[in-house]
Amino acid sequence: MAEQLSDDELSAALAGEPSGFSAVYTVISPAVLGYFRARGVEDAEALTQDVFVDILPKLAKVTGGHSGLRTFIFSVAHARLVDHRRRAERTPYLAEYDPRDDTRYAPSAEDELLGSLGGIADSLARLNEEQREVLVLRIVADLSIDQVAGIMDKSPGAIKQLQRRGLSALRELVTEKDHAAS
Amino acid sequence: MTGTREPQQDGSIQAMLRDSGLESASELRSSLEELRALVPERAPAPRADLAALLAAGSAAAADGSAADRFAAAGTAALASVPAAPDSAESLPAGVTSLAERRGSKRRLAIVGGAVVGAMTLGTGAVAASSEDFRDSVSHSVGIIFQPSGGTAGSAPQPARPSPSDVPAPAPSNAAGAVAPPVVDAPEAPGSTAVPVTPVAPATPPAVGRGGVLPSPPHRPVVPGTPALPGAGEDHDLPAVPALPGVLPTLPVQP
Repeated sequence: MAEQLSDDELSAALAGEPSGFSAVYTVISPAVLGYFRARGVEDAEALTQDVFVDILPKLAKVTGGHSGLRTFIFSVAHARLVDHRRRAERTPYLAEYDPRDDTRYAPSAEDELLGSLGGIADSLARLNEEQREVLVLRIVADLSIDQVAGIMDKSPGAIKQLQRRGLSALRELVTEKDHAAS
Repeated sequence: MTGTREPQQDGSIQAMLRDSGLESASELRSSLEELRALVPERAPAPRADLAALLAAGSAAAADGSAADRFAAAGTAALASVPAAPDSAESLPAGVTSLAERRGSKRRLAIVGGAVVGAMTLGTGAVAASSEDFRDSVSHSVGIIFQPSGGTAGSAPQPARPSPSDVPAPAPSNAAGAVAPPVVDAPEAPGSTAVPVTPVAPATPPAVGRGGVLPSPPHRPVVPGTPALPGAGEDHDLPAVPALPGVLPTLPVQP
């Protein structure tokens, strides 16, 4: 039941009623959180809450029903992620030296960072940025090709192409890993 | 709950794989399901500001701005913010106002500028009014510029005549062919005794010329004329009559 937003909840949310807000939050925030986690954001929860603080007052302007709401929320999340990445590029990562945290002896820094995500994050990290974004938006955010195209500001054909290439690249990575493991 | 979710997920992933022609890739499908599993079952607990927004959704949205809501919640903080500028003047318990200090600094700069300006004006007035001052200044300026001009004018004079003089005294010596080696010998191979010994009679004029290099402009002309009478002092008489002998013949006959 947390899967789908009912029409009543949707209209309540668009009207600005608290019950509608909490329904939107309950239903969609897990997907947003999953999206940020899949993209390897360190503090995914904080970013998710930022997104909802941002969108909830603006819900009255949303059109397009359920899919329109979802597209709106994930386009805000996408923009937030891009901002976050840019900021992270500019801010140097400062930490005291601790031999136990010395990753030079670990197999991969990616594993350390995304360790909680399992093998799929490792494979995803090797894809190109746009392919990764398409796959995560399609699978984790559960959006259609057209919705992803709207969020990433590309044509549906380009999204399809990215998805196809991303999937084949991911498949190669996965089978390669299986062979290496066995 | 999960029972209702699984088929839908599988359906969308299946559809994606079918779109890309990869539906037979089972390991890829399991990876994608793994990716899908990153979505948590429950929504994360909302933060304080988000919780306030969720609870007061209607009021905030009805007003059209959530900022008002937050402003009402943080009235204490907001009230202190406008109070801060006013309290800046009443604050100086142990703190002096920076604006005041900045003002005094500017005043110091203005006073300094005025003093310097006044001194410049006074100096200018003295210079304009007193004759002595102007004379002394022009004198000192002249002293500063004169010596450099004088030395520059005198230096080129001996430098230019000296090369032109070198050939002039050479014919004055007994042998014109001997003179050029004499000039070269004392300067470059002066240490080598080979050229010096044969030209021993010629050396005195060479040394004299070398020592008087700065003043040779007039010397070459003077020795040039006495050299002729000096060399043939006994022949002075025949030499002089030779000229009148020629002179009378030409003017007298016509």
